[in-house]
Amino acid sequence: MLTRLTKNLTYISRIFSQNFGIILLSLLLSNMYQLSAQNEQDEAFDQNIVSSGESLFKGNCTVCHAINEVVIGPALRDVHERQSEEWIYAFIKNSQKVIKSGDEYAVDLYNQYNQTLMTSFDFSDEELNSILTYIKSESAKEVQVAVVDNIVEGGEVSSSISSDNFYLSLGLNIFLLLLLIFILFRFTNLSKKYVILKDNQNKGKLLDDDDKEIVDSGFKINEFIKSNKVVGIASFVFIAVFVKSCIDGLYTIGIQQNYQPTQPIAFSHKIHAGQYEIDCNYCHTGVNISKSANIPAVNICMNCHGVINTDKPEIQKILTAYEENRPIEWVRVHNLPDLAYFNHSQHVAVGGIECNTCHGPIEEMDVVYQYSELTMGWCINCHRESEINSKGNDYYDKLVELHKSSSKEPLKVEDIGGLECSKCHY
Amino acid sequence: MNKLILYLFIGIFFISCSAKDDYPGVEYAPNMYHSVPYEPLSQVKDEEIGSWLDSNPEDGHGEFYNSNPYNPYGMTMLEPVPNTVKRGGYLPYRIHKDSFEIAALVKSPIEDGDEVLKEAKILYDRFCVHCHGEKGMGDGSVGVVYKGVTAYNSRAVKDKPEGHIFHVITHGKGRMWGHGSQISIEDRWKIVKYVQTLQKQ
Repeated sequence: MLTRLTKNLTYISRIFSQNFGIILLSLLLSNMYQLSAQNEQDEAFDQNIVSSGESLFKGNCTVCHAINEVVIGPALRDVHERQSEEWIYAFIKNSQKVIKSGDEYAVDLYNQYNQTLMTSFDFSDEELNSILTYIKSESAKEVQVAVVDNIVEGGEVSSSISSDNFYLSLGLNIFLLLLLIFILFRFTNLSKKYVILKDNQNKGKLLDDDDKEIVDSGFKINEFIKSNKVVGIASFVFIAVFVKSCIDGLYTIGIQQNYQPTQPIAFSHKIHAGQYEIDCNYCHTGVNISKSANIPAVNICMNCHGVINTDKPEIQKILTAYEENRPIEWVRVHNLPDLAYFNHSQHVAVGGIECNTCHGPIEEMDVVYQYSELTMGWCINCHRESEINSKGNDYYDKLVELHKSSSKEPLKVEDIGGLECSKCHY
Repeated sequence: MNKLILYLFIGIFFISCSAKDDYPGVEYAPNMYHSVPYEPLSQVKDEEIGSWLDSNPEDGHGEFYNSNPYNPYGMTMLEPVPNTVKRGGYLPYRIHKDSFEIAALVKSPIEDGDEVLKEAKILYDRFCVHCHGEKGMGDGSVGVVYKGVTAYNSRAVKDKPEGHIFHVITHGKGRMWGHGSQISIEDRWKIVKYVQTLQKQ
């Protein structure tokens, strides 16, 4: 039996090793073939011209054109097959002139791409030639580009799987744990039953009294729940949690921390401030110059969304508001009581405080919520702790001097009246 | 037993005081929280809100109503009166958005200097960098997705005069929309200075 198994195994391994050589050889050959094919392709174009064309193309054209996709203007692959070189050169040098001359192809192109005029470029004929050569050489590489695309897509898929895997394995672990507990429970029960059965068969000679006590002590869930200990602990925990939540609830009266209202448009700071790293000031333009940071008007949204994602339903809301000249009624998140005065520019422009200090991780919020308490204690605390940046500001020179004569502590907000009632309440 | 249930209910009432999601939470002294005069950026259009504690029944609406019936959409903010000029600043820039030739002749009122460039860099990082990129190559985080962002040193724009740059910031050009409403005239001229340094690289 054993000898037959080893015989089979050696046979299989021999077949594999023989064929492995062939597989390796064919792989090598195919690689070499690919390499040589690539070389043949590249040899058709002068490398110097292609590389100078590439740098010109990337510096001037990629803004609006790509080889394989429509950007602002058409995709440029095989453009030399669609039109003559003279036509292309004339269009690059002055597209307006070509369109005005009534050239049918040019007029069609102009209308097809939203009547956007191509910028005129004063390239020399040599430069134009190198750009076109670069486009020709890129056009010939179609297949390779497709392969690269596939690889990129594959990478994305595998990464999404790996993040799913985490939850899958967590669930599996919990399931296995429960299964283990269940099996253990069943096993103890079964073994007890077995012992009792054996004991009965031997007419009670197998077990002495101590053993019997252990075997008979079943776990009775009803008695356990009704026992004084459990009732006492449970009611204590309940009352403690209940009273704690009551006190917490009372403390939050007048505090709107965690208020997260639904907005009329599902705007996400996570995408705009987080992913695309747009500065807060770009939209909240008032923050350095006025009391409030300002909610951006529709026209600021339109700076990008006049062009981007115009077909999505949430963006459509902006477009309609823009067309109707109607403001979007955002819901205010931070409602400081009217009895307290707060000025953004004073804190941001003068104090140099970052937005995140009070507003929290805005760049991670899909829907904005109130991060800080905005209570008086919270304000005062910061005024007690924050040092004043007096460097390069003449305004503070005498104050710093005066402060130094009476105290060894650095100059803080409280030292220049940051705790006076009338600074905020009047 | 009844007493116990009562305590339970009072407790639940207390617990529900805190703000969460759409509910802003219980206010301690609502009359002092809500502004009586028109408050910019906070608008209550529902006349019923706050009618349970109306301190002035004659006005015909609830305590928290804060909305100007004479403005469009009841807004509490207004644009400046048309054709008025702000005191102590620059005169408004009134060259038509298509008049690039005239705009190109306008000269910057800002003096050159390191201090100006430093401020301009800060402004550039606020308003321009996400599209035009750190070095003005059009490769900012948004620019890559937005597409069609011209590099400052590309052949088409690297020799454009300061007036032209200012005009493009104000009114936009091509795919770029005008930024005149969100950047002050002075700040726009400062940004022009910084953009000129990027043109030359």
